[in-house]
Amino acid sequence: MKRREFLQSTSLLSAAALFPASLLAPEARAANTRRFPKPLQPEMDGEVKVFRLFVDIYQQEVVPGFKFHTLAFNNQVPGPEIRVKRGDKVRVIFKNKTELNHTIHWHGMHVPWRMDGVPYVTQMPVMPGQEFVYEFEAEPQGTHFYHCHWGTLLHMQSGMYGSLIVEEPDDPIRKRFPYQREYTLIYSAHDSNFIRNELNSMLERMKERMYLMKNGRFDKRRFAVFNTKEEFVQAVKDGYLPPYVISRRSRAELPQPNWFTVNGKSYPMTPNIYIKTGENIRLRLINAGTEEHYLHLHGHDFWQVCDDGLPVPQPWQRNTLRLSPGKTLDIIIEGKNRGIWTFHDHDTRRVTNNGLYPGGNLLALVYEDLPAEETELNMMARKMGLPNLPIVALDE
Amino acid sequence: MKSIKIFLWVLAFGLIVLSQRAWAQVTPEFQIGARGVVSFNTDVANHKATSAVNDFSDSGLLVGFRQKMYNKFRGQLVIGFQFPDADSDLGQLFFHQTFVKLEDRTNIIKLGRSRVRSSLIEFPTLRDDDALPFTDVLNPFSNGQNSEDNQYGNVAEYAHVFKQRYWVRIHGEHFTETPIPPETSETDFSLNAIGFSLQYRVPRTQLWNRPFLQQIGIGFNNFLTDRPGYSGQWDRALKNVVVSTILNLRPDPVYFWDFRAQVIYNFGFDEITAVKEYAELTRARSFAGLASLRYLYRKLERPALQIAVSAGYKTFPDLKTASSQFQLVGNTFYRLGDNFDVALQVQYKQFSGDLKNLYGENQVRFQVGLVYAIDHAWNRQFDDRDSLLNLEHGYIP
Repeated sequence: MKRREFLQSTSLLSAAALFPASLLAPEARAANTRRFPKPLQPEMDGEVKVFRLFVDIYQQEVVPGFKFHTLAFNNQVPGPEIRVKRGDKVRVIFKNKTELNHTIHWHGMHVPWRMDGVPYVTQMPVMPGQEFVYEFEAEPQGTHFYHCHWGTLLHMQSGMYGSLIVEEPDDPIRKRFPYQREYTLIYSAHDSNFIRNELNSMLERMKERMYLMKNGRFDKRRFAVFNTKEEFVQAVKDGYLPPYVISRRSRAELPQPNWFTVNGKSYPMTPNIYIKTGENIRLRLINAGTEEHYLHLHGHDFWQVCDDGLPVPQPWQRNTLRLSPGKTLDIIIEGKNRGIWTFHDHDTRRVTNNGLYPGGNLLALVYEDLPAEETELNMMARKMGLPNLPIVALDE
Repeated sequence: MKSIKIFLWVLAFGLIVLSQRAWAQVTPEFQIGARGVVSFNTDVANHKATSAVNDFSDSGLLVGFRQKMYNKFRGQLVIGFQFPDADSDLGQLFFHQTFVKLEDRTNIIKLGRSRVRSSLIEFPTLRDDDALPFTDVLNPFSNGQNSEDNQYGNVAEYAHVFKQRYWVRIHGEHFTETPIPPETSETDFSLNAIGFSLQYRVPRTQLWNRPFLQQIGIGFNNFLTDRPGYSGQWDRALKNVVVSTILNLRPDPVYFWDFRAQVIYNFGFDEITAVKEYAELTRARSFAGLASLRYLYRKLERPALQIAVSAGYKTFPDLKTASSQFQLVGNTFYRLGDNFDVALQVQYKQFSGDLKNLYGENQVRFQVGLVYAIDHAWNRQFDDRDSLLNLEHGYIP
């Protein structure tokens, strides 16, 4: 083999290692639609849009061969997408079907403060079996999300998050960059061992607490809840040992994420982003996890058009952006360079599944008008029995 | 010749190292269980008092490794040692656990040296052997010098779990046989006991679901002895039946009360009508019962104080001289910190008939001690059978 042929074949193979299988096949495209948050249909009560959410324990398959127990809204990770228009009156009836406490925080929304979902600050936690009704007006516009605010470190990475999109009727983004298709991508990071240990530990504790609560026996120190800071300080002076001194948790270490997901899936089960030459698409990027992501798109510069849901005064072009925890960013990709392009975290520690590269939040931008012949492989690949790109490859 | 041997050893070692480099391994889960029990004992027997400044018997260390198999099973290796009683002839250290376990959701296979199935439940005593004649079916092959002979042996066991709470166990053991002089150590390690048990048992994690019945079980232990004058295996087998229960009298997370009881019926050998030595004690027909009442105070969801009283009675109906033994154990544990307790225990033992000749009329033991017990795992990668997630929300292998 000549050196040039060798270089060509190795570069193709290393690139192929990044691509999910059969990107353009009809069945793959049908399956792909299920890898985005499912819109939640509201009921109308007069002028109020009524949404129903519940949380229950649910087994999420992140990739074939790996599942973990999650806390999931409506048995979906992420939870269903709530999509409303700016100014809509919204009611969310939230039912807690687990034996744990929860709330819902509407991240980025200007809700009445008693609707903000912070336990013991704006409301009592929604206890096992209870229902809580959140009501607010949809403000401001843009890409937002909702998540549990009880035991946030555990409950969020366990799956309790979902997108909340407030559409602006006179959307300045659509005016400047006319688009028909948009995609919601919710990023998260999970320490599956932490989740398992903590969930078990919390479930065990809650069985005890439920027994006591049913009998009207609420011990502030046992529940680590005090009326005032002074009361808490006095309790410590009296010999009370707070949970952070004698950790009641299954372990004291902070989580070290080992799974990195987009819409609840890791590569190769992450969603594909479809585009056509000449088309603009909008991506709504949400970081519902605890890790920063440095998202890089191959072969393109995209426009960053919104920050925390709000249009930026001057969209700017770039090919890598930093998506911090709690952040939402909207980008517009212009279909200008036909091909199959990866869109991934450039902190490649997050492009792993349980420590093994490739995996994690790696996904593909796929041009639908890509001619089949452009996905053909060389002789060596054919000898290996590989028909054409793309290929699922899971080892380095 | 010697240099060739050295070369071959080096080559073999090198091949092992290379082979390990070629296939990256999943780091296993690493478990440590440690227990330190140190007590100051004062014994009063036959109106004479003796004391031991430092009794650290029953202290020990367990190290375990566990990982997933290629299928739904998990594999485990446990190695452990403990400090035997000072008057034992087991030496300074006794390797009481060295076993390999293979298990999935409902099947458990265990092979190696481990705890024999001579009892169905545990009792709240300072040390595991404090009420041995009542807690365990006694080993008829031992001379009674080492209590460990009754507790540990070479074990082959299969268990199946039905509907999370019903356990069926079939087990075969080699119980330690005390060598008969001039032999100084065991030479035959063949199977000398078989048995099976059925148990209903509520997983620990579901204790607060507040079932009244925590455990009920029945077990059969058969020792394959060399009973003189009998050739049939059935006649030569020393047969024991064990029945046990644990009842949650008040399953309150703060003020918890439970009751536990176990009875052991040893069918014995008819020809034994007098007890002059330990072998006869274990082979005579007997009935033993032990019951405990336990109170546990839990503060901030952790144990803070435990008080327990246990009483046992054992009788030997076939002996010509009416013989029995009685034991009362009272103890309290006060938690000083995580896993660390100060303990007080009083034991009273009374013997009559032939047993009085062996052990004296009565004994009283006062014990003050400290107990530190930990059980921890690092690099955890999967859940346990009895976790609430696996029990109540679908099992994940």
